[in-house]
Amino acid sequence: MQKSKRVTRRQFLKGSIGAAAAFTIVPRHVLGGSGNTPPSEKFGGALIGCGGRGNGTFGGLGPDVEMLAKCDVKFVKHADNKKVYTDFRRVLERKDIDVVAIATPPHWHALISIAAMEAGKDVLCEKPMTRFIAEGRAVAEAEKRYNRIFQIGTFGRFGRSTNQGDILTHKIMKSGLLKPCKAVHLKRGGLKVREWSGMVNAQPKPIPDTLDWDMYCGPSPLRPFHPHRFGGTHRGYWDYEGGGLTDMGQHHFDPVQWTFAKDDTSPVEIEAFAPPAHPEACGMWGWIELKYADGFTIVMDSTEWPEAEKPSYNRKESRGVSLSDLSEEDQKKIKEMPNPEPLVGFPEAIRTRKQAGGHAAASTRCVTLMHLSNIAIRTGRKIHYDPVKEEIIGDEEANRLVNPPMRAPWHL
Amino acid sequence: MNEQTSALVALVNKMPDPDQRGMYCADIDKEKIEGAIAKILKGGRDNIIGVIDMLVEPGKGDDVKAHYALHCMALHVCKLDNNRPRRRFSRTLASQIGGDRPKEVQKYLIRELQVAGGEEVVEALGKLLVDEELCEPAAQALATIGEGASEQLQGTLSKVSGKCRLTILQNLGVVRDTKSVGALKKAVSDEDEAVRIAAVWALANIGDADSANMLLKASDQADGWERTQATKACLLLAEKLLAAGKKSEAVRIYKHLRDTRTKPAERYVSDAAKTGLAAAD
Repeated sequence: MQKSKRVTRRQFLKGSIGAAAAFTIVPRHVLGGSGNTPPSEKFGGALIGCGGRGNGTFGGLGPDVEMLAKCDVKFVKHADNKKVYTDFRRVLERKDIDVVAIATPPHWHALISIAAMEAGKDVLCEKPMTRFIAEGRAVAEAEKRYNRIFQIGTFGRFGRSTNQGDILTHKIMKSGLLKPCKAVHLKRGGLKVREWSGMVNAQPKPIPDTLDWDMYCGPSPLRPFHPHRFGGTHRGYWDYEGGGLTDMGQHHFDPVQWTFAKDDTSPVEIEAFAPPAHPEACGMWGWIELKYADGFTIVMDSTEWPEAEKPSYNRKESRGVSLSDLSEEDQKKIKEMPNPEPLVGFPEAIRTRKQAGGHAAASTRCVTLMHLSNIAIRTGRKIHYDPVKEEIIGDEEANRLVNPPMRAPWHL
Repeated sequence: MNEQTSALVALVNKMPDPDQRGMYCADIDKEKIEGAIAKILKGGRDNIIGVIDMLVEPGKGDDVKAHYALHCMALHVCKLDNNRPRRRFSRTLASQIGGDRPKEVQKYLIRELQVAGGEEVVEALGKLLVDEELCEPAAQALATIGEGASEQLQGTLSKVSGKCRLTILQNLGVVRDTKSVGALKKAVSDEDEAVRIAAVWALANIGDADSANMLLKASDQADGWERTQATKACLLLAEKLLAAGKKSEAVRIYKHLRDTRTKPAERYVSDAAKTGLAAAD
C-alpha cells in the first residue's frame, strides 16, 4: 500500500494552539479529506470492556491507535469521565475517538458495536459477535448504513484465504457446481462445554461496590448478583453468552465458513442431541448437526458427554471437496475462476476504508451457526431455518429465541 | 404429605443433582428426565401448581430441581402436536402471577410464559405492567408472544410512570403498534432523555410517515448520545418508508440529513444520507 504524505501528530499540534490544549490525538475527521482517509499519524482509540480479553482485543486495532479512554462497569470507584468511564455512551460522545475495541461480555457486543458505528467510529469486536441471531443482522445493517469498518476478533480466515488448498475449496463451493455437496466438516471436542457451563444452584450475593450491576446486565434480565455470572464465567449463562459452544465456535467455524464459501447464507436444518436445557445455565450436550441447502454439513461432537451413556456422534465422517468431484468441463471452469480478493485486515481497512475481512455481514453468518445450535439444544427440537428471512420456520416458540426483546432502554 | 404430593415430589426428585461445581454436566439421564416430566404433566393443573409451590425466592432455600422441572415442562408442552396441553400449562402459570408469591418466583413464571405462553395469557401479563418489579419481564413476554400484546401495552401506558412507562413505550415500538403513534409523539418531548429516545425509535420502527418532521427536529436539537440515537431513528424511518414505497417522504429525510450534517464530525451521517438517496433513485 502506498503511503500518503500525512501531517504527523506532532507537526499538527505544533502548529495548532487550540488543538494543543484539547487533544493529544488528531481525530481523523478534523483533517480527513474525501472518504475520510485519515491524515493523522495516530487514531484515537477506546477500549470498552477491560476484562481478560481487553488489552488483547485493543492490540488488534493495530499499532497506529492510541488508547484515549477505557470503559468498564467495574470502574465505579475510579471513573473520572475523562480517561476512565463506566458508561460507554459517554465514550462514544467523544469526537477524538475514531476506533473502538469491544471486549465486554457478548450480551453487549451488538449494542455497543451498533452505537459506536452510529457515532461514526470503526469497531473491532471480540468474539462471539452476538448473543442472538437478530443482533448480528442489526450490526451488519449499521455497518452498511454508516459505511463503517467492523471486524470480528477472530482472524483464522485470513490464513485460510492465502492457503492454496482452501482457495480451491472456496472456488469449488462458490461456483455452485457441486450439487449436491457431500462435504462434511466434523468438529470433535474443543468447544469447552464443561468449562463454560453455568451454575444451577447459585445463591445471591451482595453486589460489589465497585460494580454497576444494572449496567452490566444491560439488555438482559436484571438478576440477583452472583460472582459466577461475572468476570469470564459469564460464558455459562444464556443471559450473556451461550456456553463454550458460542465462546469457542466463532474461532473454529469462521475460517471453515470462508473456506466453504458460506459467508452469505446459513444452514437450513439443525438438530442436536442434548438433555432438556436449563432455563438460565448453559450445560451439557452431545452432538449437533447443521445442514446447508446445498448439502454441506457441519457436525459438532462435544466429546464431553458422560462416558456411561455416551451418545457419540458416528453417523458421518469428515469429507472434503476436490476437483475430481466435478465433471471435466466443470473442473475447467474452476481453473478459470479468478482467485478471491485478498482479505483486508483491520489496520489497513480503517486507513483505506475497504471492507475488513471479518466484516459484520460475514461474521453474523458464522455466529448464527452457534445460535442455531443453541436454539436446537434449548428447545429440544429439530430446527428448520430460512437463511434469507433469518427466521425459524414452522416453530413459533423456537423462533422466539431469534430476536428476544431487550430490557429498556436498550434495543436494536 | 398426601399420596399425590409425595408422588409429585418423587418425580421432581428424578431431575438431576448439580455436579460438584453446581452445574448440569454429569449424571444426566435424558430419558429419565423426559419420562418424569411427561408423568408430572399427566397430573394436570394440580401437579403444575404443585411444582410452582416448590419454588422459593433466591437465597431462601433449595428449589433447583423444581426450577428445572418447570422449564422442562414448558419445553415439553411446546413439542407436542396438540396445542391443548401447552394452553393448559400456560393458563395455570398465568393464574399464579399477580398474587402473593415472591416477586422473583413470579418473574420466573413470567419468563416461562415467554417460552410457552400464547394469546391465552396476555391479559394476565398485562395486569403486571403497572408493577415496578414485574413490568419489564411482563412487557418482554407480551412483545414475544405478539398476539394481543398491543392492547395490553396501550391500555396501561397512561397508568404508569418511570421505568414501567419507558418499558411500555419501547415495547410499543417493538410490536409496531400504529394505534400508539399519538402517545409516542407526546413522549418525544418528554423531560426524560431515555423516554425521548425510546419514543423516536418506536415511531421510526413503526414507520410512521407523519412523524418525519418531528424526528428530524428532535435530532437537529439534540446533543451527544441523544443526537446519534435520534439521527439513527431518522435513517431507520427513511428506510422503512422506502421499503413501504413512500419514496418522496424518505427522500425528504435523506436530503435534510445530507444538507444539515455537514460539519466534519458528522460527515459520515451526510454520507449515509447520500447512500440512502442513491438507493431511492
